[in-house]
Amino acid sequence: MLHIIVCIKQVPMVSELPWDAKTGTLKRETAQGMMDPSARRALEAALQIKAGMGKNQASITAVSMGPPMAEEILYEAKALGADQGVLLTDPRMAGADTCMTAFILGKFITDHCPDAGLILCGAMSSDSETAQVGPQLAEELDIPAIGYARRLELVHDCIRVERHVDDFMELMEMDLPGLVTIDHADESDLYTPRYVPLGGVEAAFNAGDIRIMDGTALGLNKDFNALTSSPTKIIDVYSPVTRKENRVLTGAVKKMVDTLFDDYGKIISSAMGKDLKTHDHEGDV
Amino acid sequence: MDFNPCMKHQLIRKTVQEFAENEIRHRAAEMDKGPGFPEDLIKKMKPLHYFGLQTPTHLGGAGLDTISYAIVVEEISRVSAALGLCITVHNSVGIYPILRFGTREQQQQFVPPMAAGDSIGAFCLTEANAGSDAGGVETVARKTDHGFILNGTKIFVTNGGICSTILVFAVSETDPAQSSVFIVENHTPGFSVGEIEDLCGMRANPVASLFFEDCAIPADHCLGTIGQGLKIGLSALDTGRIGIAAQALGIARAAFDESVSYAKARQQFKQPISRFQTIQNYLADMAVQIDASQLLLYRAAARKDSGRPFSAEAAMAKLHCSTTAGMVTNLAVQIHGGYGYSREYDVERYFRDAKVTEIYEGTSEIQRMVIARDILTRPT
Repeated sequence: MLHIIVCIKQVPMVSELPWDAKTGTLKRETAQGMMDPSARRALEAALQIKAGMGKNQASITAVSMGPPMAEEILYEAKALGADQGVLLTDPRMAGADTCMTAFILGKFITDHCPDAGLILCGAMSSDSETAQVGPQLAEELDIPAIGYARRLELVHDCIRVERHVDDFMELMEMDLPGLVTIDHADESDLYTPRYVPLGGVEAAFNAGDIRIMDGTALGLNKDFNALTSSPTKIIDVYSPVTRKENRVLTGAVKKMVDTLFDDYGKIISSAMGKDLKTHDHEGDV
Repeated sequence: MDFNPCMKHQLIRKTVQEFAENEIRHRAAEMDKGPGFPEDLIKKMKPLHYFGLQTPTHLGGAGLDTISYAIVVEEISRVSAALGLCITVHNSVGIYPILRFGTREQQQQFVPPMAAGDSIGAFCLTEANAGSDAGGVETVARKTDHGFILNGTKIFVTNGGICSTILVFAVSETDPAQSSVFIVENHTPGFSVGEIEDLCGMRANPVASLFFEDCAIPADHCLGTIGQGLKIGLSALDTGRIGIAAQALGIARAAFDESVSYAKARQQFKQPISRFQTIQNYLADMAVQIDASQLLLYRAAARKDSGRPFSAEAAMAKLHCSTTAGMVTNLAVQIHGGYGYSREYDVERYFRDAKVTEIYEGTSEIQRMVIARDILTRPT
């Protein structure tokens, strides 16, 4: 029996994020949530691995650390086919950076899922894009990890992982237990998430509650506080300022074209994806 | 009183929204050139239980409650009302009467392929001389030694061009006051489909006339018992009205959302037209009616789920939602000006689609009769 743990995260659905200026974190309670697209791909990978194995040969636990409203994505995971859903939630866990998030997830897996064979995460979440939680969690658990996987295959007691690095493919094998983070969409799109079946939603809610664990249930110290324990802090969050400026080029056409290429050649060539030789036209005159 | 949807209903809404936005929205205008729905789209919807919304799981459905069912119809209709129509008619007046009145054998035989989406359902009552007045039905069922022989013509049958399990409302040849509902399969000799109707809206849905010429059906294809026709019909319509109300609400919300973004973007007199009080008044009126529609619809659905009578509530919801759809789509075209009258803008389609919600599954006038009857028969 292979126990697959999929770490999922609720991210805000909107692109304009409400931030708490004081703590430098996202005001998650005011945003409409959804399952992080990359985590959903990780869940899809787990579902496909499970489907490829015999009946009762694999079990999937979806776990998330987040505010109480994150319970919804655990029901969603169950609607998609996860066997169990666990929410780690406590006001004391709020404000955790990637390091503290990995610590809390690690504590859960070590103490409550000692049989965990394969741990899957999204490569990076859509709201913070650090790509750190997966590797940090592997460190917490002291197990090997491979990032940015595009294809997984169970081979005996290890997992074969295909990943795309720069311009070549890499094929690796890793002993289990181990952790793999799933890359975002590519051309082959093996792990494009399936749609949630409506009957799955109904069944997920009928099948009983999501297991909810607070700091005490998880065995965290009484004075544990994720915000103050986090080694990294978000100092400021702001939208990058863009400036629009109109500029009128004057003079002879040749001079205008030269100026255009001299001053904006780099921008134009990067937009076109081509190197522009800026002074090739000189010989034509 | 809790006006917040529970987590399950929230998740159902998000689930349908995701599917509708990714798979339906970009093809809705093309589908409107109809008739018919893209096969690959229907194929994707089948395993997600869109054709067995309230069908119990042991018959292959999703086993949803009525609130969830209304949410699904509302969200599908928000992107394509014609597809929303297919779904709601199939689920409510196609499958529901078999679940409610059918024998165990009828349920086992007919429901699983319907819930899987392999057999689309239709319900036909309307005839050339029978609409609001079901007493005018002229399709007759003659009792024979082996079953029944149906003769008659039904018109304006939703899903007519694609249906394979058809519930037919017919009267007894010997006693025109006695009506029954019969299950006819599309491969029955004597059954045929007429031309697809050239309608103002809902153009993707292949609405058609259906002909029954000496259509012989076995005795066990009579739904419920002989003479139960009116009871089945009224019960199907009560349920169907929740679906049509949800559909109308979906159309209204779509038109409203388009109007808000257009009003913010459209510049006249060097400012967005949303700055003008007239436009603001329109938007406010639309929002209030939509909100009221939502409350009426989900109250009716909740009543049905709790097992209480919901006929008057469903009629109120249907009346208000469809009136709102008419009013909101009309104002949406007005806010869009000339563009709103063009096929290039979705509000033109919403405007055409909305009208029929005031007509089918009981006209607004019939809804008022149902509501008034309820008021006047209440104990004082």
